[in-house]
Amino acid sequence: MAALVSIRELTKTYPTGTRALDGVSLDFHKGEFVVLIGLSGSGKSTLLRCINRLVDPTSGTVTFDGIDVTRAKGAELRRIRRRIGMIFQQFNLVRRSSVFTNVLAGRLGYRTTWRTIAGRPSRDDVALAFENLGRVGIVEKAFGRADALSGGQQQRVGIARALMQRPELMLADEPVASLDPATSHSVMKYLEEINKKDGITVICSLHFLSLARRYGTRVIALKAGKVAFDGRPAEIDDRRFKEIYGEDAVEVEIGLGPQAPVPVEAGDSVDAAALDPRIPPDR
Amino acid sequence: MAEYFTARGMPVPRELTRGPLSDWRRNVTVILTMAVLAIGFKILDIDLSRSNPNYMGQVLLQLVQFDWSVMTPQSEFETFWDTAGGLMIVTIFLGIMGTAFALVVALPLSFLGARNIMAGNPITNGIYVAVRLLFTIIRSIDVLIVCLIVLPLFGLGNASGVFALAFHNVGVMGKLYSEAIEGIDAGPAEAMTATGANRFQVIWAAIVPQLVNPFISFTIYRLDTNVRLANVIGLVGGGGIGVALFQNIQLLRYHTAGTFILLIVITVAAMDFISAQVRKRLV
Repeated sequence: MAALVSIRELTKTYPTGTRALDGVSLDFHKGEFVVLIGLSGSGKSTLLRCINRLVDPTSGTVTFDGIDVTRAKGAELRRIRRRIGMIFQQFNLVRRSSVFTNVLAGRLGYRTTWRTIAGRPSRDDVALAFENLGRVGIVEKAFGRADALSGGQQQRVGIARALMQRPELMLADEPVASLDPATSHSVMKYLEEINKKDGITVICSLHFLSLARRYGTRVIALKAGKVAFDGRPAEIDDRRFKEIYGEDAVEVEIGLGPQAPVPVEAGDSVDAAALDPRIPPDR
Repeated sequence: MAEYFTARGMPVPRELTRGPLSDWRRNVTVILTMAVLAIGFKILDIDLSRSNPNYMGQVLLQLVQFDWSVMTPQSEFETFWDTAGGLMIVTIFLGIMGTAFALVVALPLSFLGARNIMAGNPITNGIYVAVRLLFTIIRSIDVLIVCLIVLPLFGLGNASGVFALAFHNVGVMGKLYSEAIEGIDAGPAEAMTATGANRFQVIWAAIVPQLVNPFISFTIYRLDTNVRLANVIGLVGGGGIGVALFQNIQLLRYHTAGTFILLIVITVAAMDFISAQVRKRLV
């Protein structure tokens, strides 16, 4: 099967001289839930951003669905980008705009500039926005300001915004690094759902190996810009862990399920994931 | 404190040993400041022996013995617009119109003068440098000087005053707006670029919403300042209440001048108060 994303000899050197990626070659296949792990500065964010060209690689190629992303320019690049959703550690919402406006922004790539200025979304876009807000369980907050939401809720708005693109690939850059453990699982479950139900390929960078093991179908470890491990989550044993994170590292568990009671996210009366029948209980 | 370090055989940090005046840099600063002030006295020939406190006292006394006749038309040739109240209203509108014209020019230019918008390409970066330089040059020419320069073009009166205010404020407001643009959160812009939005859509949907409040706040602040400036612009022939004030002082009509000054003080204080209240609510 042809790969959805194919990366060949990708290298990125920043103007400061930092070599963030050093000859990375990887293939990502449709339907995978790939988790990128590695220390801070190992190149995870740069790798993700090279895929949708938020960062221009120094050399090497990235192809998405057979199109060379590294050569694409202007309108062609924007057409590629709108097929690739992205969520961010800091959520990157327009804080003082409404949740609804933020979600609609996911549709910008499909709208003309004129329509953006005129400001009237099409009926289909509005319907899609409410559908996606419903999927992440925040319809009732649609017309509140984005910064009035809790961190977990803001990240769910981020997911809804990315879903507006009807993406084939979802890039997630440390989506739960600013969130507490319970909220982290709630957000990760939404990513798992769009991966399993919608068949959207997910490439997600994470700090916690326990989250990587729980959600990933494949784990890739980066170390100093190179691929240090590529395989199934279960294959990461103690020896591999120390290779990736260094001799001094100790694995930290992030609480999962009933054995470690999960606190309810602030701002949510109940854990949204527990209520949502579309999300199967994990375990 | 020093014993803590000596008892442990460690070097004593300099912060602990240095007395308040032992630092030579401090002494040099003090000596230099005194020298500058001494030179200033010498060059400016500040000589208090010629002062006349008695006369000043008489003038001050006349200033506060307000002559209210200027509040009503004094002859059949005068209308409301020749009274102090009318002139005050004219002056306020000088400030408003000057701000409005400056806004129209400064607003679009400020985007070209924002580093985060223009960076990344030598041509746009060149435009950024040129626009910022333009703002600095315009700003360095004071309102009164601009007014004197354009008197031959517009003649004595309101037109010169409005032009002078507008011209100088393009530089001031342009700089304020540009810095507001540079201070925004870049996250939403990155997120919208990732959705496939074009450059203009990114500015419109991710940057402009963050600018509404700072722009309104800066504009009100400048409006307040410009009404204040409009009072003195009359001194050089720019129209408004300043003309009448200047004439009355030259004719030694201190009773009337005092009334004008009182009116100006009330207006400026009110503008200041209103502007502070509105801006406080915008944050």
